[in-house]
Amino acid sequence: MAPKIAEKKRKVEAPDPESDDELAGRLDGVLSQSEDDSDYIFSDDDQDQDDQSESGSEGTDGDDDEEILSDDIPSDVDGEEAMGKLLIHDAEEELEIDEPGVDPKPKNVVEEETNYRVEKDANGGERYVYNEIEPGYDSDDSDAQGPENTIGDIPLTFYDSYPHIGYDINGKKIMRPAAGDALQNLLDSIEVPKGWTGLTDINTGNPLNLTEEELELVRRVQMGMVPDELHDPYPDTVEYFTSVEEKMPLSAAPEPKRRFLPSKIEAKQVMKLVRAIREGRILPYKPPEEREREEEEKDEVHFDLWQNEEAQDANPMHIPAPKLPPPGYDMSYNPPEEYLPTKEEREAWEALDPDEREKEYLPQKYGALRKVPAWGELVKERFERCMDLYLAPRIRKNRLNIDPNSLLPKLPSPSELKPFPTVCQTVFRGHEGRVRSIAVDPSGTAVATGGDDGTIRVWELLTGRQVWSVKLSSDEPVNAVRWRPNKDSFILAAATGEDIFLMVPSHASVTPTLDQASRDTLAAGFGYATNGQQQPTAVGKEPAAKWARPGTKLEDEGVLIRITVRSTVKVINWHRRGDHFATVSPSGQRSSVAIHTLSKHLTQIPFRKLSGLAQTAAFHPSRPLFFVATQRTIRCYDLQKLELMKVVQPGAKWISSFDIHPAGDNLIVGSYDKRLLWHDLDLSNRPYKTMRFHSEAIRTVKFHRGGLPLFADASDDGTLQIFHGRVPNDQLENPTIVPVKMLKGHKVVAKLGVLDIDWHPREPWCVSAGADGTARLWM
Amino acid sequence: MEQQPPVAEHGAQVKVTFTTTEVDIQLPEGKRQLLVPADIRRYGLSRILNSESMLDTDSIPFDFLVNGSFLHTSLEDYLKSNGLSLESNITLQYVRSLIPPVYEASFEHDDWVSAVDVLSASSPAGLWSGDAFQSCQDRILSASYDGLLRIWNASGHVIATSPSGSHGGHTASIKAAKFLSSTQLASAGMDRTVRVWKYSEHSGGDQVFGELKPTVELYGHAGSIDSLEVDGASKRILTASADGAVGFWSASKASAPEPDASLLPGAHTSKRRKVSSSVTTAQRGPLSMMNIHTAPATAGVFDPRDRTVAYSVSQDHTVRTIDLTTSIVVSTLTTSHPLLSLCAIPRGSAPLLAAGTSARHITLVDPRASATTTSVMTLRGHTNKVVSLAASPDNEYSLVSGAHDGTCRVWDLRSVRPATKDEGLGSVSEPVYVIDRESRQGKKKTAAGEGCKVFGVAWDKLGIFSGGEDKKIQINRGKDVTL
Repeated sequence: MAPKIAEKKRKVEAPDPESDDELAGRLDGVLSQSEDDSDYIFSDDDQDQDDQSESGSEGTDGDDDEEILSDDIPSDVDGEEAMGKLLIHDAEEELEIDEPGVDPKPKNVVEEETNYRVEKDANGGERYVYNEIEPGYDSDDSDAQGPENTIGDIPLTFYDSYPHIGYDINGKKIMRPAAGDALQNLLDSIEVPKGWTGLTDINTGNPLNLTEEELELVRRVQMGMVPDELHDPYPDTVEYFTSVEEKMPLSAAPEPKRRFLPSKIEAKQVMKLVRAIREGRILPYKPPEEREREEEEKDEVHFDLWQNEEAQDANPMHIPAPKLPPPGYDMSYNPPEEYLPTKEEREAWEALDPDEREKEYLPQKYGALRKVPAWGELVKERFERCMDLYLAPRIRKNRLNIDPNSLLPKLPSPSELKPFPTVCQTVFRGHEGRVRSIAVDPSGTAVATGGDDGTIRVWELLTGRQVWSVKLSSDEPVNAVRWRPNKDSFILAAATGEDIFLMVPSHASVTPTLDQASRDTLAAGFGYATNGQQQPTAVGKEPAAKWARPGTKLEDEGVLIRITVRSTVKVINWHRRGDHFATVSPSGQRSSVAIHTLSKHLTQIPFRKLSGLAQTAAFHPSRPLFFVATQRTIRCYDLQKLELMKVVQPGAKWISSFDIHPAGDNLIVGSYDKRLLWHDLDLSNRPYKTMRFHSEAIRTVKFHRGGLPLFADASDDGTLQIFHGRVPNDQLENPTIVPVKMLKGHKVVAKLGVLDIDWHPREPWCVSAGADGTARLWM
Repeated sequence: MEQQPPVAEHGAQVKVTFTTTEVDIQLPEGKRQLLVPADIRRYGLSRILNSESMLDTDSIPFDFLVNGSFLHTSLEDYLKSNGLSLESNITLQYVRSLIPPVYEASFEHDDWVSAVDVLSASSPAGLWSGDAFQSCQDRILSASYDGLLRIWNASGHVIATSPSGSHGGHTASIKAAKFLSSTQLASAGMDRTVRVWKYSEHSGGDQVFGELKPTVELYGHAGSIDSLEVDGASKRILTASADGAVGFWSASKASAPEPDASLLPGAHTSKRRKVSSSVTTAQRGPLSMMNIHTAPATAGVFDPRDRTVAYSVSQDHTVRTIDLTTSIVVSTLTTSHPLLSLCAIPRGSAPLLAAGTSARHITLVDPRASATTTSVMTLRGHTNKVVSLAASPDNEYSLVSGAHDGTCRVWDLRSVRPATKDEGLGSVSEPVYVIDRESRQGKKKTAAGEGCKVFGVAWDKLGIFSGGEDKKIQINRGKDVTL
């Protein structure tokens, strides 16, 4: 239709030159389509040819189709003028459209005023004759058809012999269009024009040529596609359910309930299928041969060993096997050189019995992992591992949930247990070499020390002033010094080598009376000795000891008696009355323990046989009992009945010393294996309390004898430890033992620290003898 | 207040109130309150007090007690450390200050020095000798462990030395010695004797030579005599011995009784080395020998006012008051530690007794029977046994102590603080000055005061004299360097 309109426009435009300039640019595109018009004209000529060629081959159906399609054929009926007006109109409209936003309608109204003509009717009155409406594109009039052949369903060939091809609606002949000559037809058949169909338009008799659009339409119909060119068979999917949230819901209606209910019908159908599968009516597909094989297998019988096994909980006492240690460098196939055994090591390893070998293997080096051979011992090793796990009794230890502090005994704090010695207040310096033994005199003013230099020195206690000294031996150390525990005399016993010396260290503060009394005490026994009292006891034997005067040189110094026994004396302990003292020489086999009677100058050896090496011996502080310590046990003898009373077994490996509580019922024992043991003699033979607070052997233990509940021990680690040890009067109560102070000050020389200690007779002061050549007063 | 002394323009000011207990330096009522700069220290306060507008005195050094303790910092720091504001009114008690004792000299000995005494115009012996004491005759007596007494002049020269044991002197270490007067002195020691010496001087040229002649040997003690106290006016001697006895002696030959023969050195000499003396001296016994202590008696002093009353201390923890006329123990005060030294501080009706203990402190004891508590105050600071005490010659509130830790400490009884729980109950004071041994200067302190123990201390207007294990008498003197 559009080309046609354009053609008409051109026709009209020519006499309307004033609009030419304006429309020139715009009409170019229209003019370019004018070729169609010429084609159309040519095709008019072709019509006959088409008809002719078609006559034989094409049926009437095709003509019918042509008719339907030929809507576009314009009518020539309209008057030129009216048409021109309209076309101008159209052109103006088109122009108007170029200006957007302007409504073209009012102009149309104005135009309509001229869309009629006034004529005179029969009566001479005015009569408005309206222009016939041109059914254009926008028109609703479908009656106005182009010229139509009314011959109906009669083939055109019937009219071949006539100059017309039929009749129009008015009964007028439709003349056959002039046909081209044969040459023209040939040329047409050779050079097929566009839209050539070879058919003849039944209505006009012209060749029916189709336009591009019509051809496309035909093609689409033939392809079974939707004829509409604008139809898109592959539109973009409109995705309704996307993440993009729509601003407006498609529907505001709430979701119907059925959407949320499971479909019953579907469920029924599914259940139907399920039932069928269960009953075996539906079987999954299997290849027939496989199905056959299964059928055969069904017939075989299998027994499930684990069929009836129930899952068991892990045993509460189950202990997972201990993990093997991770392999070390020496287990590597390529260990560092230092792990490789030397030749000697290898020989030594091979020489060992397999059971005694420390390692089951020797480290070996291989250049590459692939060169490592299989481990020959694997099965044996696995087996042994399994045997180990099987045979090793593994026991689960239950962890106790107890606050460790609650297990500690409730002890009073040391500050409540004052007084006790806390600091070193005086240093007694003068000995060369170790100070081996120390003792405070019964009055508490003097201290006697004996040392490795063979001297005995007496010091003023508080100031540390040396007031008296004597050299007993030039080569033997003084092993023990002990004061006679009586205030009416001033006698010191000392042991050096095999000699025991009794002396009166009369320094200036000793009154002549006291001095004389002491001398008299010592000298009293000489009468017995000369009377030969001792001889009968040792008839035919060497006397146990020899009492003699040491010589004038020593006698001038105050050393009055020398007692020579058979072996080195290490310990001296006085009886409380001061008439007897016991000496112990651990190396002297039978005669290791000796009791000396001062008043008679008599030495007795109470034990003909001792089980073990005697270490030390002491008298009971109040009763006639005598304690002898061997390496492992302490034996208590009754001196009156001459029988063994008790055997105390502290459990120490090597007793170094012991001391008896002044009340007599308790015993402390120090041992070389670092232990301090408290024994209640009435309670048991075993220790009441064991204390291991020292890092080295304990040399000496000592109770305070002046009524204070204190005791102390001295150790090779250079420290003294002070303990509060209260023995209650009530027999039912246990003794209170509290460590209160560790006194440090002595230096450790050659693994020896503090060698001896003693307490002041009244005050909480103690003195200690150290291997560093000093003695110290602690208070 | 219009006479307020000039103060610094900048800085805060503190309102203080000056008080004192000393009568002669009382401030007039209107001048007691003052605004002083907050950063003022003791020296500044002391200058303000000495200024014309205040006391108008010439340079009395003052110390200031705030709340019982001495002011060592500036007022501002004191307020800060005690959390007080600058607006608070502070009461400052001003007291005459103790002058710091500055080291002056050391006199060398051959052996440990056990005791020191001074003879000067102001010392008791100087007062007792009265007119006989010539001015500038300041003498220092030292007793040594070598058994010799030495008399020194103030410039450190030995004027006289006592004869040795074989010539009538002590046969063992001397533990105590005192001037009775300018011509007489007494000594006692480990040989259990008290010896009274006559001391005479004669000048040859520009040098002075002295001579010590033993006059009486007093026997009676059965143990080492650790302490000796004299009363020059009545020529009486009081001793304390390790045998637990307190002896009361007369220094004159005539008034002393005959001695107990058993105690004389010749009593049992049959088998003993005899120390024969070439000089025979009169041997006498005690006026009374009181065996009143169960442990070694360590010191005895006369009552400063009443010479018939004496006090003794012992290692048996007791302080005993003795009526010397009847030789009866009047009262016994038991403390908690062994007592090793004693001095009486004159004060009011009855003296205050300071007793040095083996537990490293000094206990102040009120010996009056009416006293409610035994221990008035504890002086803490020593680290070893306190073996010697001397009261200040100038005042009633300070004393010096010598201890085995190698220090002498000067104490001011006016500075008191309540004791902490560890220290037990009562009040406690701390030393004002610590005098170290000059011989140990720059050296590390030894354990247990080894090598520098102080055995004897004397305090005179000349200074503080102390003798010890370093074989020296050390003199420290407060110099008038501070205002």
